[in-house]
Amino acid sequence: MTLAARDLLAASGLDRAAFEDFLIHEARLLDERRFRDWMALFADDGTYWVPATPDQKSPFAEASLFYDDRELMKTRIERLEHPRIHVQTPPSRTAHIVGNLVVEATDQANGEYVVGSTFIMVEYRDDAQRLFAGRQRHRLRRHGDTFRIVQKRVDLINCDGAFEAMAVPI
Amino acid sequence: MRNGHVDDIATLVEPGRVHRRVYTDPDLFELEMERIFGCAWLYVGHSSQVPQPGDYITTELGRQPVIMVRHRDDSIKVLLNRCTHRGAKVVNERKGRAQRLTCCYHGWSFDTDGELATVPVPEGCGEGFDKDALGLARAPRVGEYRGFVFASLAEKGPSFEDHIGPMKGNIDDLVDRAPDGELALDAGMHRYVYNGNWKLQVENVLDSYHVPFGHASTVNKQGVQFARREGDRKGATVVEAEKKQTAASWKDRKSFTVGNGHGWTSNTTLDDGKRSSPAFDEYKRVLSEKVGAERAGEILTPRLHNSLIYPNMSIMGLNIHVRVIKPIAVDRTEVNIFPIRLVGAPTAMNFGNIRLLNVTHSAASFVQTDDLESFTRAQKGLASRFTDWVDISRGLGAEEPDRASNATRGLATHEMVVRAQYKAWVGYMGEAA
Repeated sequence: MTLAARDLLAASGLDRAAFEDFLIHEARLLDERRFRDWMALFADDGTYWVPATPDQKSPFAEASLFYDDRELMKTRIERLEHPRIHVQTPPSRTAHIVGNLVVEATDQANGEYVVGSTFIMVEYRDDAQRLFAGRQRHRLRRHGDTFRIVQKRVDLINCDGAFEAMAVPI
Repeated sequence: MRNGHVDDIATLVEPGRVHRRVYTDPDLFELEMERIFGCAWLYVGHSSQVPQPGDYITTELGRQPVIMVRHRDDSIKVLLNRCTHRGAKVVNERKGRAQRLTCCYHGWSFDTDGELATVPVPEGCGEGFDKDALGLARAPRVGEYRGFVFASLAEKGPSFEDHIGPMKGNIDDLVDRAPDGELALDAGMHRYVYNGNWKLQVENVLDSYHVPFGHASTVNKQGVQFARREGDRKGATVVEAEKKQTAASWKDRKSFTVGNGHGWTSNTTLDDGKRSSPAFDEYKRVLSEKVGAERAGEILTPRLHNSLIYPNMSIMGLNIHVRVIKPIAVDRTEVNIFPIRLVGAPTAMNFGNIRLLNVTHSAASFVQTDDLESFTRAQKGLASRFTDWVDISRGLGAEEPDRASNATRGLATHEMVVRAQYKAWVGYMGEAA
């Protein structure tokens, strides 16, 4: 950790492990296909964004792989639970690993923290295995003794590549 | 014919069925690359992607890498992206701006009209070195209609007007929705690939039969799909909730063909009186202001849902976008989807369209992913023996002339449009290149 990051973390009054535990918990919910519990981690104004270009500035002015608010997330999850979702017959199995966590910014006034991390997700489905990797940035808001996600942004290293169908969130 | 054993093309297509080899035979694929993608008018890109001199995009026509670039005189050139020296691909970026196109290998540099401009160490060139003959190859024929740029890699063949003429109204239908009368394809792109033949995607764009079952997971318990457009409260009713069957209103939808493999489906209600949001209401106001209330009313009258300009592009009228189909191998295809910005429409409305297109047609979307699954499974199934024929007979004999649009009409849940595509396919494939 850099000195600046150390200072930010100290300023947050939180233990680094608190953020790490939260991100590990989030990844586990996805790997266990507990999508409703995953959605519940998001604040009511929370968004989930996977840009389609590197350094993408706006989720509105350009195409994205995912840009879900809570309402769209709910529609997405209802579809994932639908018995006739062909692209999840059979369902995906995933394993996430999250690391290299850095607290990038703190906003004590609003109890918000920006946490960057690096992830790898391996997905297996229908005899094929593939790999997703990149960096993610969570804007977290303090909520009791845990957090709510205000935004999760996932920057895949191959975000502007051509993908086979993706059904589950990364 | 690569191996000399592609037999009579016409035997592969019968009135209500096609042989599975049209999807699975690598030799037929090679022949398609010559006789369809090497000859036909193909969609390349949109002029708004190269607004300034020197702006370029790179893409593929069939398997030929090309550069679409705007030259100093404002004309758009379609150049083969292959150095005339030792063969390297010259431009490696998907888009950009350059005064010269310079090869990475030995530094040969080309002007934006393809002419060879400079060669490093020119004194090493022999006496017979003919710089004028060493420009980048150009697509022999290029045509543009309202910003849509097409090219043919053959010197001869039907004219651009012959090819695009019957579909001009479909392009107008989309472009006229923009209050300023122009489109901008400047909102990025979606890219997806699947392990299946290119024709599976082409056939799908006008296939209304698959929607209630193929997209069942997008439909709620009331049989209604989620809202797909700015200002809509809900989506289309595609299933009768009680009977779990395709809805009557869906079954009434029509499809149309006009030769050359082109066609479209009706219809998309643009303004059903219920569609409303601040952005959509503002759009209607701006459109009326620009073109007059009467013309605005015509533009918003339901006509077209999806249009196919055979063989490689479609204009989708509901979640407005341009789709480009790129064959990679007999069992591998890439598809590019471009959101459309209606120039002059409120920013919020354009942003809404871009955003909803993520939901319907990104590689992680609710709609397209189930289609990709169907294409992939079709390719797997078609590789099997003993059932050699693919049935495309729905509505055979039920086609009717449609004088209003100078087309042939059928029901959208029929397979008339697929048969029309195979008629065009035989036309291309039967001709020697």
